[in-house]
Amino acid sequence: MTDAVPAKSRKDIGTLVIASLLVAIGLLTLYDTTGYSDSDSIVFPTFVAYALILGSLTVIIHCWLRPNPELGFGTGDWWRRLLLVASMIVACLVMPFSGFLPATAIAFAGSLVAARHEGWDVKSALVFALSGAVIMAGFYVLFRFALSVPLP
Amino acid sequence: MDFSNLANALTFANLALALFGVIAGTVIGSIPGLSATMAVAVLVPITFAMAPASALIMLGAIYTGAIYGGAYSAILLNTPGTPSAIATTFDGYPMAKRGDGDLAVAIACYASVTGGMIGALALLLLAPPLSQVALAFGPVEYLWLSIFGLSLIASLSTGNVLKGLTGGALGLLLSCVGVAEISADIRLTFGSSTLIGGIEVVGALIGLYCIPVLIDLVATPERHLKVEEEVRAVRFREGARIAWGSRFNLIRSSVIGTVIGILPGAGGSVAGLVAYSEAKRTAKPGQKFGEGEPDGIMATESANNATVGGGFIPTLVLGIPGTPPDAVILGALLVQGVRTGPALFDGGGSIVYTFIFGLFIATILMLPTGLLIGRYAYKTIVTIPKTILVPAVGFMTIIGTFAIRNSISDVIIMITLGAIGWVLSRFGFAASPIVLGLILGPIAEQGFVQAWIIGEATGNLTGMFFGRPISLAIIAFTILSLLYPLVQSRRAKRLIKMQAGSND
Repeated sequence: MTDAVPAKSRKDIGTLVIASLLVAIGLLTLYDTTGYSDSDSIVFPTFVAYALILGSLTVIIHCWLRPNPELGFGTGDWWRRLLLVASMIVACLVMPFSGFLPATAIAFAGSLVAARHEGWDVKSALVFALSGAVIMAGFYVLFRFALSVPLP
Repeated sequence: MDFSNLANALTFANLALALFGVIAGTVIGSIPGLSATMAVAVLVPITFAMAPASALIMLGAIYTGAIYGGAYSAILLNTPGTPSAIATTFDGYPMAKRGDGDLAVAIACYASVTGGMIGALALLLLAPPLSQVALAFGPVEYLWLSIFGLSLIASLSTGNVLKGLTGGALGLLLSCVGVAEISADIRLTFGSSTLIGGIEVVGALIGLYCIPVLIDLVATPERHLKVEEEVRAVRFREGARIAWGSRFNLIRSSVIGTVIGILPGAGGSVAGLVAYSEAKRTAKPGQKFGEGEPDGIMATESANNATVGGGFIPTLVLGIPGTPPDAVILGALLVQGVRTGPALFDGGGSIVYTFIFGLFIATILMLPTGLLIGRYAYKTIVTIPKTILVPAVGFMTIIGTFAIRNSISDVIIMITLGAIGWVLSRFGFAASPIVLGLILGPIAEQGFVQAWIIGEATGNLTGMFFGRPISLAIIAFTILSLLYPLVQSRRAKRLIKMQAGSND
């Protein structure tokens, strides 16, 4: 690629997008406050929403004038990141139906696969599965019985 | 003050309770998501059958241990176990990453013990006179104190000040989500039932600090912490030598922590940040705060442990809890029929003084137990393969968040905030201002709304917000804290220019 943009002239698109979204959140807040019945619950979110909009606009101007092209998502496997977050979210969604341990086993297995870079064989799979079962059972017993947390 | 109370505190039963409290508090506080408040709250029922002084000793010991325990995960996992340990991550995690995690944990222990002792000493000597200062703080002062805390963290966190302040505003806004405390209006849920309960602070803290670390850990095959080739001896002496070399920083930070602990609501997180800022401001040439500077850990850890003693001053003298765990302890005392207030020091003084001596004993016990637990915590975390560490920490974040309010919605919010926090951090929006905004939101809102109502009723809104002397002093400190990084960066640029000029 010969037409690569020099680092200094590149814009920090990520910051611009985030700051714009924050402006939108501020505006949404101002819209939301119009539906409150009591003025006591309106004043503070309104004040903070204006502060957020002002701050975000300043970030946009600053970022436009002095972009930092070094900011970004960096290197690394996206599928691993997504698998980690997705397995945890799925665990939460199935928890009311399956119970705590089976649901968190999904999160544990997803995170295990996401974190393992060295490849798998039968022995390592068994060792990690067993370690996982011991850790989950240990914490379950601690929270469920010693701390009396009503885990589903 | 009667020294027979010291003998009461030194009974075998009270010593055993203090030891158990310190160990239990340290272990619970070290688990990300289990805050000092939760550690105290979970173990409060055990104390109902005890004598009031013994119950206070155990709860104080749990609180002290939990505040120190928060440093382990802050240093080793970049996840503050408690909000008080937010600033510990700034230098603790960089130290752990370069292979000095065991030294950082030892330094944190020495600093926590020093802070705890100075806080307890203040409680013993200064409780009645200092509580009068806290009485002068009205709603506006609490509002400005919250904004001061946010300005401090914005100027201290990585990234630029503008992004820090914007993140702080986002945190304040997140604190408004759910049912409003004052009027019961449902705010910022946009019809989602998941958000009706609001954003739970500890869950959000776990998400914003822990999930981004896990996302980064899984993405690349590199190890999570640097492991030294040779097995080193325990670094107690090295830690002690460094702590002794920075004794002035330790004492100053402990005094800051004590004073901030006295102010109701401010707590360990603000104390740690103010002490860190002060240590950074007075840094010697060559000290690199934010890159693994031991003085940064010492400032934060001594200050947050000093808030334990400081926070008990308004709790016991006025019945106003200095920090959230103090509120739980206050509740436990009320269950036992102990009425807090100035009279407690006269009529029932023996309970208070036995407790204060018990707090001294618990703090001293924290030295051997803390160093020992810290050593094993470091060795365990550093040698665990990433393949098992990531799912184990992920599991702990889920179970820890669920346990706070027995809510799956809180877990979903925690994970979502974590993923958003990761994206934000990649573009220079640090997690700390958002978290602090979330913590200080209710205090700031209460102060803002009360001041607004009073200001409108008296027809002097401007005077209410900007006319009170303490408010003006806090505003001045806020402006200074925002201008300081600017002045510092200009000074650094001028220095570089001068050096370049002399080289030519």
